[in-house]
Amino acid sequence: MQIRGVAIEDTFAEAFTMRVARVLITARNPRWAREAALKMTGFATSVIGCKCEAGIERELSPSETPDGRPGISVLLLTMAKDDLSQRLIERIGQTVLTCPTTSCFDGLPDAPDRVGVGSALRFFGDGFQGSKMIGGRRFWRIPVMEGEFLVEDKFGLQKGIGGGNFFILATSADAALVAAEAAVEAIAAVPGVILPFPGGVVRSGSKVGARRSKMIASTNDAYCPTLRMVTATALPETVNSVLEIVIDGLDAAAVSRAMRAGIDAACRDQIVGITAGNFGGKLGPHHFHLRRIMSASRTAP
Amino acid sequence: MSGDTVLTLRAPLRSRVDAAGVAWAELRGLDSTALGSQEVWIEGEGRATVGDLFEVSGAPAPHIRLVGDLALMDGIGCGLAGGRVTVDGDVGWYLGRGMRGGAIEVRGNAGPHAGGAQPGAKRGMTGGEIVIRGSAGPYAGAALRRGLIVIEADAGECAGRGMIAGSVLVFGNVGPGPGLWSRRGSIVAFGAVTPPAAYRYACTYRPPHLPVTLTYLRRRYRVPVTPEHLTGRYRRYSGDLAELGAGEILAWTP
Repeated sequence: MQIRGVAIEDTFAEAFTMRVARVLITARNPRWAREAALKMTGFATSVIGCKCEAGIERELSPSETPDGRPGISVLLLTMAKDDLSQRLIERIGQTVLTCPTTSCFDGLPDAPDRVGVGSALRFFGDGFQGSKMIGGRRFWRIPVMEGEFLVEDKFGLQKGIGGGNFFILATSADAALVAAEAAVEAIAAVPGVILPFPGGVVRSGSKVGARRSKMIASTNDAYCPTLRMVTATALPETVNSVLEIVIDGLDAAAVSRAMRAGIDAACRDQIVGITAGNFGGKLGPHHFHLRRIMSASRTAP
Repeated sequence: MSGDTVLTLRAPLRSRVDAAGVAWAELRGLDSTALGSQEVWIEGEGRATVGDLFEVSGAPAPHIRLVGDLALMDGIGCGLAGGRVTVDGDVGWYLGRGMRGGAIEVRGNAGPHAGGAQPGAKRGMTGGEIVIRGSAGPYAGAALRRGLIVIEADAGECAGRGMIAGSVLVFGNVGPGPGLWSRRGSIVAFGAVTPPAAYRYACTYRPPHLPVTLTYLRRRYRVPVTPEHLTGRYRRYSGDLAELGAGEILAWTP
């Protein structure tokens, strides 16, 4: 299969089941909502080293938020439910509670599985905190020097997917970056997904394990162009740079939509091929076959 | 309105009617016969049934609509635990007394003690929502434990007296003595209000829970919330300082 002259390899991305929460951060204006969201999603690229993966899903208009203010939707994923609760408490407590004018709401109110967040953060109020039940949902009012911080008592969680991906194989690093930027821009319009890495792009894709240490992940030498002559390379001869897009999402459909949009946008001049990372299908239960995804795209109305 | 159980007053009430004995918590889904057999008490006349006073129509439904001037009918919605009751007209005393859940909308005025406590009870409403499109008499939200009372016009004296928690929002003027003896809870005044002496001014700010409450009310009940209500600042008075002092009166400053 080729799209605009770019070869789509007959392979699949292998992804994992994770637990995901959606956090809505509102503020007096979009700037402060984004400031809090950027802090909250900082250092959250991979569960391997960051304990969670997080990113901005999209901006929210005032008509979409519980308090009628502009906001940002954030997705945060962990491997286990208990971890999710702890990460939410830590990150909301350190980055949203501290940010001027923000409030923080559960973005999955219909999810039956729930974890306490405001119920833990309320203790920062040192006994001066109060609660409000509004429309069947409990909120905590925590007094702070600025005024009050409002945070929802419990946050919904559900099974999500982490590790959807595709690789952009390019003739140069510049071309790879341009294609990756186009892919990220296209995926930004897809709801229900995040790109947890810097700017949505990974330059250091990893393989499981390592040759000479006990690291659980190390550089993906098969896709490193500088190692072409000293390792079992997976790169065609004309490829001089590879960038990866990693996609986490609420469900498989959202990840598929994002991969479709991103791959389509990345197929442009000086891109040799698109492939994906997997572990032979033995580790992750979710397999996103590139050609099936792109065929669906081309036959869709 | 399709999907509602509709009770239409057969004739104007001439005496006070006590409807607190109606099993409001159990009415949802009752057929017209069972609903019509619920008992009320007519002052000076004695026992009667809902069917004697109202014509019951519509299929069993979670939404019960009362049509007529019920200013002489007391105890509508007492102990309501779920579903929704709408009254197209005024209501008498003790609207939603001891209510635990559900919603009551009054498209008129309400008499005294809306959302109040059952006789002898320390707590009034413990849940649910009351929206009064007109004014409310004295003691609205007295001993409120949890729940939300919205009064789109004026509130009589002693609104929220002895509140334990919950919220009373008044879009008109608030009568004397709001929040006296309250321990916690919020009285929000969009019109004129004079906090009692046992309340003290704390600050002027934007309480973040109010936009959530107001946005919810606008979306669910079409309460006439303005952008100025959402973005405005409020003077916060803490009280009752003769009690716990964790209550508040929030006075909107346009």
